[in-house]
Amino acid sequence: MLDFLIYNPLTNIMLLIYNVLFNNYALAIIVLTALIRLATMPLTTRQQAASIKMQAMQPKIKELQELYKNDPRKLQEETRKLGFNPLGGCLPLVIQFPVLIGLYTAIQRSLAFNPLALLELGKHLYGFPPFTHLSSLVPINSVLFGIIDMGALPNYFSVSVIIPLLVVGSTWLSNKMMMTPSTDAQTQQMNRTMGMMMPLMIGFFSLQTPIGLGIYWIVSNMIGVAQYYLIKPKMDALKAHYGVGGAGAAALAPSGTAKLGDPDKPMFSPPKSKVRAKPNAKRETPKKPSSGK
Amino acid sequence: MKISNTFLTVAVLGLVLSACTGGGEAPPSAFPGIILDGTSAYLSSNLHVYKFDAKTGTEGWRFPPANATATREEPLPGPFSGQPLKFGDVIVVGDSTGRSSANHSLYGLKESDGSVAWRFTQGKKEYTDGVATDGKLIYAPNGDGTLYAIDPNQKEGNAPKLVWKFETQNKLWTRPLVANGVVYQSALDHHLYAIDAATGKEIWKFKADAPIGAQPTLINDILYFGSFDSKFYAIKAADSSKVWEQAVDGWIWNNPLIEDGTIYIANVRGAVFALNQADGKIKWKADVSDTVHAQPVRQGNQLFIMSMNTYAYVIDLKATPENGVMKAEIFNDKMARRLLSTPVLVDSNLLVPLFDGDVKVARVNLASKLNEAFFPQPAPAAK
Repeated sequence: MLDFLIYNPLTNIMLLIYNVLFNNYALAIIVLTALIRLATMPLTTRQQAASIKMQAMQPKIKELQELYKNDPRKLQEETRKLGFNPLGGCLPLVIQFPVLIGLYTAIQRSLAFNPLALLELGKHLYGFPPFTHLSSLVPINSVLFGIIDMGALPNYFSVSVIIPLLVVGSTWLSNKMMMTPSTDAQTQQMNRTMGMMMPLMIGFFSLQTPIGLGIYWIVSNMIGVAQYYLIKPKMDALKAHYGVGGAGAAALAPSGTAKLGDPDKPMFSPPKSKVRAKPNAKRETPKKPSSGK
Repeated sequence: MKISNTFLTVAVLGLVLSACTGGGEAPPSAFPGIILDGTSAYLSSNLHVYKFDAKTGTEGWRFPPANATATREEPLPGPFSGQPLKFGDVIVVGDSTGRSSANHSLYGLKESDGSVAWRFTQGKKEYTDGVATDGKLIYAPNGDGTLYAIDPNQKEGNAPKLVWKFETQNKLWTRPLVANGVVYQSALDHHLYAIDAATGKEIWKFKADAPIGAQPTLINDILYFGSFDSKFYAIKAADSSKVWEQAVDGWIWNNPLIEDGTIYIANVRGAVFALNQADGKIKWKADVSDTVHAQPVRQGNQLFIMSMNTYAYVIDLKATPENGVMKAEIFNDKMARRLLSTPVLVDSNLLVPLFDGDVKVARVNLASKLNEAFFPQPAPAAK
């Protein structure tokens, strides 16, 4: 199913772009990655906004958790009233995954760096226009600058070792940019650990996979950083609105940044049926659940 | 929530990437090969080359030995793929492509015990489909795009003498055909080359519209082969002029079986074709659902096709095609592994190399249709 809907179209489009870009595979990776990241940008933005909103709700959620620790049903009910949706931050990410994994698969397939991969590629190429000529393009010219074979694994003793290093560096940078600051000490510690571990882990994997995939990681991370700067004004305004990251609701977005409009109606409003959290509004202390006696 | 997202990201990526990188024995990335020599079978399959008894499955030796260890200076040989070649009293195999490949060597292994008789190290990349010989020289196509002609009877140190080499524009992933003093080499640079076997000089080259991955078959001075351009060709061996071509609706990456005026061939989409040898006209088609890489095998009126979907199929050649379509039936139980290599017939059994997994060869009884794990022989159960 994923083959039909995502992997095959992306593989064929990848080779088509490669052909249009004068059979330059590195350029094809950059262009297709950029196109996919642009297409999924609304989801990325939505996920970040949801993440900020969730963070703003945390104190209230903790309070409710303490209050209803023996009554999960009530807790669920009360958190729902707040507009808390645990999937709110994950769902856009989950939707993006098949596409991003599809892109990864398309690159891996089109590189066809060994006989099995080439055989697999053969059955996934379309036989109808404008894709009919794609078979004549394989195996693709995967040599970058005449020295780095993007279909080969990185070699510790050659210039190609720079790719895993750049993967680590760009993942670290991208994570650092995207990480929402937290006031909670435990969260901060976890952020720090993840900020270190994730780049190293991705770097380790990039040592085990063809260089072309490493280039994809680098490009994807750099586009992620660029995206961050593009949506930063909106996110800053949202943070100010929710009072996340040290900024109170009164700390209005600087002039020239995104306009929030009605502060009670944020950019990414939850469904109307749900009660929206207002972190800076006077909090009502929830009544203690009656003992039932 | 941000943390949850990060964890989710890491977890999913970890899962995906670990699936890509695998664990334990690295999965193969090129196709196993098997040959018979009397009652002995030689098999190149992933981490080892094996000699075993073709009737009993008893192992003779394996290379490198099971207890061999790698050092920084001397990585383990392998992985291995493609058909081994028997040349005198040595078995010739080469380092194939794969994660652990570090050597790019061609080995002559002593038939008696599997120890290294000689080693040729001038190839820069992988040997994926085996080598060919005319009895004098060995012709070894390499992933560096070069065909090496070596003479094991003349040594330079422990290595056979390089007699000539022929360079092409892309990888050589196909074993050549040697006949009548000419080496016919298919190349991924879209060409089939005819090369003088003695001198290494090009005689002619034939250009297809896409890579040529299959070894040609020579009958009555006509070469028959398929290409990734979804066509099957018949050309004259003398001058490469085209006799006919036939569209076959998908890449061809297996060697044709030609018998009784009919060419049996299958493509990567799982379509099997019977072509008229004289003019290339399609006699009938059949479908086996998934990619075919192995050469079809015929016994009597049964045509066996190995499919990537783990099934062996049989086509009854006595049957009459309905609207040009023959029925391909699953012949036996699922073998649980992808079938991408040409099997060999031993008595009334097919020995089928399995692409991946611990069992390297399955044996299919043509009478009972039962298949069993044949090699390596399972260890006797502890009492």
